Amino acid sequence: MKRNDLIGGLFFLGVGLLFTLYSHRVEIGTWDEPGPGFLPFWAGMVVIGMSVLLIGKSLSRGGGTTEAFFPQSDSWKRVVFTLLALVGYNFLLKPLGFVLVTFFFVGFLVKFIFPGSWKKAFIAALLSTVSVRLIFVNLLEINFPKGFLGF
Amino acid sequence: MDILGYLIQGAQIAFQPMNLLFCFVGVLMGTLVGILPGLGPTAAIALLLPVSYHIPPVSTIIMLAGIYYGAMYGGSTTSILVNIPGEAASVITCIDGHQMAKKGRAGPALGIAAFGSFIAGTIGVIGIMLVAPPMAKFALAFGPAEYFALMLMGIVIIIYMSSGSILKDFLTALFGLLLGTIGMDTISGTQRLTFGVLELTDGIGFIPAVMGLFGISEILINVEQVVLTTLVTEKVKGLLPNLNDWKESFWPMIRGTVLGFFIGVLPGPAPVISTYSSYAMEKKLSKTPEKFGTGYIVGVAGPEAANNAASSGAMIPLFTLGIPSNSVIAVLLGAFMIHGLQPGPMFISKYPDVFWATIVSMYLGNVMLLILNLPLIPLWVKMLKVPYAILFPLILVFCLIGVYSLNFSQVEIGLMIGFGVLGYMMRKFKFEMPPLILALVLGPMMESNLRLSLLLSQGDPTVFVRRPISAVFILVSAMLIVSSLIPGIQKRRARLK
Repeated sequence: MKRNDLIGGLFFLGVGLLFTLYSHRVEIGTWDEPGPGFLPFWAGMVVIGMSVLLIGKSLSRGGGTTEAFFPQSDSWKRVVFTLLALVGYNFLLKPLGFVLVTFFFVGFLVKFIFPGSWKKAFIAALLSTVSVRLIFVNLLEINFPKGFLGF
Repeated sequence: MDILGYLIQGAQIAFQPMNLLFCFVGVLMGTLVGILPGLGPTAAIALLLPVSYHIPPVSTIIMLAGIYYGAMYGGSTTSILVNIPGEAASVITCIDGHQMAKKGRAGPALGIAAFGSFIAGTIGVIGIMLVAPPMAKFALAFGPAEYFALMLMGIVIIIYMSSGSILKDFLTALFGLLLGTIGMDTISGTQRLTFGVLELTDGIGFIPAVMGLFGISEILINVEQVVLTTLVTEKVKGLLPNLNDWKESFWPMIRGTVLGFFIGVLPGPAPVISTYSSYAMEKKLSKTPEKFGTGYIVGVAGPEAANNAASSGAMIPLFTLGIPSNSVIAVLLGAFMIHGLQPGPMFISKYPDVFWATIVSMYLGNVMLLILNLPLIPLWVKMLKVPYAILFPLILVFCLIGVYSLNFSQVEIGLMIGFGVLGYMMRKFKFEMPPLILALVLGPMMESNLRLSLLLSQGDPTVFVRRPISAVFILVSAMLIVSSLIPGIQKRRARLK
């Protein structure tokens, strides 16, 4: 898993650098009077050391099989569209309102991720929207954004 | 008050109709989660945390504990019927359980799994009752140095147990520790890495983090490919194991219970390890080891008892030390904290009602599960037929509105999605999640205990090895780290993975 370790190592190197550098801005303190930056600084330093070790190990290991990142050729589409749907839900929650955005979110995922019929998507979206509204709004009395249609 | 008195007090609370209802909901949800592949108990408890805001603390703990041990019951059903473990602790049940189902003995396999789980769950509860109070008394002698050393040991043990690369596991644990420092420093009031975002002042929200790491990332992995499952289609009949089944299974169940309980007390993914250990032990002790893997009932009875006993045992470090031994318990600890309950040595004496009511409810839950599991098996089989294409959008909606309902914050939804991507990448790049989640939960406590110890000892780091109890914890941690670097043990860890 040469490539995996290299990418992971670089990510953690970035994390270590971020926390170590940031800790200087909030006072590291001393051993007898540790400040708010004490743990981030020392833990960050260890992370830097370990990630350098991981990067070094991944670079020195020759050959090795590199597994494909996605198991199927169209897997990436399903992952990316699911993520986009999640981000879209968050952005449209206030303008569209909880009921509409939930309806479109479920409908979109059922129709396009593992392609199903429009009828199936509509029924799934309708039933799930009605049931979550009943549970969260009517039963648990939680206030969700109403959107431009007022519901 | 003696144990009996406390038990009666606990029973009075647990038997209240409201708590009975939540216990039932918990075990039902747990069984469902155990049955449905692609949603583990950690994710399920995380999903229900927002709902628990609106429920009294005792009822919440009763319900969430029910999900945990309920999932252990439910997991066996999918292993036996579909050869797909509903959760990791049921992987081993597939070996003999599914072979039994193929031979037309699905009924006795499901039956012995349910009875084995019931017996182990019951003995496990008695174990908690007897072990937890004296352990809590012992822990009263702990100061900040002991707490820091103990938490360090907890993280080191979970790293030691979890996967092949100790370096990668240490990195994820340290990452969790660092994430735990984000927010306002409790000692000086300084803001750390909040970048002016109000929602980060109290630190990274635990619920968005676990829902993202476990719920969202699990779904992203699952949507990658269409998995076709083959159900055992014949009608499941004759759930009661026959006399010979009982004779063969009795001692494996008892051995599995004892083994599982003690593995459960130790930090690590106890239910999973206990099933492997029980299976290996039974195979070694058996006069007919060649029968294992061909549909031998002992291969179901022992591990099924072990994983239930382990889930009971795992409650002990939580109740007595306030330290979660695995990621499910870490999420449960989060639930305690949300309700203002701080598990630890004082927990049992400070909140006897919560502790004893939970214990009694666990017993009741085990009875409910036995009643639920056997007659409802046909219903569970039907549930398995719900296509994932319909199921996953519902789980996502539950995650989204669950997180939003906490603080009505879209930043927290964003955090959850971010942690979902992080969890997904970690799974893809083979970085283990338990060390991260454990360090994230323990991080703030570890930091304050570390700083307090150094302050009290005037900056002397040897304080951790000068005090005898903390010295033992540090020594064990050091031994585990050193031993994991020995090539032979490295290989064994890789095999465990």
